[in-house]
Amino acid sequence: MQRDVGSLPLAPALRARLVAAGFQTAQELLDTGPCGLSKEIGISKEEALEALQVVRQECHSDATQTAGAPGTSRKCTALELLEQEQAQGFIITFCSALDNILGGGVQLTKITEICGEPGVGKTQLCMQLAVDVQIPECFGGLAGEAVFIDTEGSFMVDRVVDVATACVQHCQLIAEAHQEEDHLKALETFSLESILSHIYYFRCRDYIELLAQVYLLPDFLSEHSKVRLVVIDGIAFPFRHDFEDLSLRTRLLNGLAQQLIIIANDHKAAVVLTNQMTTRIGQSQSTLVPALGESWGHAATVRLIFHWDNNQRLATLYKSPSQKESTIPYHITPHGFRDVQPPAVTQNPEGTELNPRKRPRREEEK
Amino acid sequence: MQNDVESFESKLLYQEMDWDQFDLNPKVIAALKKADIKSVKEILNLSEADLQRLMKLSSADIQYLLKTISRTLRKNSMLTALQLYQDKHHLTSQHQKLSLGCSVLDNLLKGGIPLVGITELAGESSAGKTQISLQLCLCVQYPYKYGGLESGAVYICTEDVFPSKRLQQLIDQQHKLRADVPTEIIQKIKFGNSIFIEHAADLDTFHNCITKRISLLLTRGMARLVVVDSIAALFRCEFGVSDSVTKARYLQTFGAQLHSLSTRFRTPIMCINQVTDAVSESEAAQCNCSAVDSRVSPALGITWANQLLMRLMVSRVSQPEQSSGVALHHTGSVRTLRVVFAPHLPSSFCYYTVKLEGVKGINPLHDMASCFKNL
Repeated sequence: MQRDVGSLPLAPALRARLVAAGFQTAQELLDTGPCGLSKEIGISKEEALEALQVVRQECHSDATQTAGAPGTSRKCTALELLEQEQAQGFIITFCSALDNILGGGVQLTKITEICGEPGVGKTQLCMQLAVDVQIPECFGGLAGEAVFIDTEGSFMVDRVVDVATACVQHCQLIAEAHQEEDHLKALETFSLESILSHIYYFRCRDYIELLAQVYLLPDFLSEHSKVRLVVIDGIAFPFRHDFEDLSLRTRLLNGLAQQLIIIANDHKAAVVLTNQMTTRIGQSQSTLVPALGESWGHAATVRLIFHWDNNQRLATLYKSPSQKESTIPYHITPHGFRDVQPPAVTQNPEGTELNPRKRPRREEEK
Repeated sequence: MQNDVESFESKLLYQEMDWDQFDLNPKVIAALKKADIKSVKEILNLSEADLQRLMKLSSADIQYLLKTISRTLRKNSMLTALQLYQDKHHLTSQHQKLSLGCSVLDNLLKGGIPLVGITELAGESSAGKTQISLQLCLCVQYPYKYGGLESGAVYICTEDVFPSKRLQQLIDQQHKLRADVPTEIIQKIKFGNSIFIEHAADLDTFHNCITKRISLLLTRGMARLVVVDSIAALFRCEFGVSDSVTKARYLQTFGAQLHSLSTRFRTPIMCINQVTDAVSESEAAQCNCSAVDSRVSPALGITWANQLLMRLMVSRVSQPEQSSGVALHHTGSVRTLRVVFAPHLPSSFCYYTVKLEGVKGINPLHDMASCFKNL
């Protein structure tokens, strides 16, 4: 047991005393025994006994881990990481242009942040993803489940029904076209009701409730092991009022980000957050920037910014470890989040400048 | 009943706790007391490492503590979307909406105003904002069956005096507007008695009003609708360009307070907003109202827009459009009600007129038919 005393899950004060008394490894502690330990560092025998119990448990779990599954050790090569990542799959968005700039869709084990003005479509994409994550594997989906944490009260179940119905219909069309057995079999269970019953909805009314919910998430995800998507819509709302103490806010947000990264990694889930925009007043002009400040900008691995250009909705990939910065148009139809371009774009490239701007409105107003 | 649960949870959050009632190791409880930690909020405000240091406990103990109090705070809060969808109970269901008292307008909004969230109604002066809100104040008093919430309304005036004459007129004409409701029912409702009018001309009065006075009315169940006419008037005069930070803070506080009232009491909040002329095209685009008339955008900027669930805009239809358009045959000037954004609605619009008996939408199909007849 060569484990360092400093890495044991003991109370900090106790750890400091142990180190000061010259203990270095867990084995030394076990060898000393409770009586010796209590004398050596001046604590009661009960406390010493308890500390030793913790040490023994730790060592035991260490031993089983290394013996049972050598693969779980932290070391792995970049090649292995790449393979893991490629095997994971993506949550598709139903907008092929957005999937392309994201490199296939929303990535599992990563945090994706969507920023945008009110009404631009952040919540719509979240709902779309909560449905899309459940597409059966034979249709290229993940057959997962979704957790939806709503802080703003904007989760409208009627809208999810629209999106889910369209998604089921889409899969039915594919099945009819291909007539493959596994498709038809998958469709037997892939229905509106099954989709709705696998979206777990939590309503958090303030930041304390949000923090509490995130503390409970790991247990919930262990119980519901098929969850591949955690949505928090939105992260900014509870943190943007009643905060006199901005350093507290920064600290809490950093803590939250850290927890979410752990959740995303441990449970192979994608975490999607939405954030508001705010006006930053510069010297000559004011610009719109994502809320919650500079340090929050590091929290998400992938950052998308949604904005308007005249009547066209645009999505800009602003930050990504693997993809280049780019902007694509999208639009929101009664069926959900979709591509702008009908076939016209590929057929006559000259027409693209004019067409996409007008078409979405007309369809929406029907 | 719901309110009791509510008060219990908020008590849990802020008040001094008796830690002994928690299912925790006595050692942890002793450490909590020793560290002088009194409320759940205090614990959640601290990080794990801070708690370890303060309470002199191991990380396993702290994790267990955090999970235990989180669970107490959030007990069975999980719903699946299916439960939400099938829930027909009128206290929790999302299907319940507040009707506008006109089937055409209700169709545009898929049933009416959602109960939880802030709805904004923006538009130029004389576009019909106050008319719509007055009508809502009456609609809310109808039985659930007829789209109401069987309760009164609070009307907060911030600029003009309350248009009580017009209200009286509307009350007298209710039987004409609501042909769908039996006359006995209309006669039974004492409309005038359950509209509570508040005047708040400055920010402090308004703050006091929404934090103290209104929650009292809502707790007693005497009102299930809050109208603020108008939110922009509070900010018009007092703030210069340099005060934008203070202004933003006020807007966020108000937004949060109204939001929490709405969630706690399942009460729709209707805020009337003014419009400003968009100076540049990019500004109009920012407020994403450039859809048809790009001349104006709602006041108060993005800080306020972030607080909203949905934004509606009303405007008068300009004369040439009117004469060539569908609405020629209607007396009185024609106006449009437009959904600018809402999580559950596409951006769409419909025409309406303001008549003696109230606000009425113009059915597009019916209208087409009469058009063809004239041809």
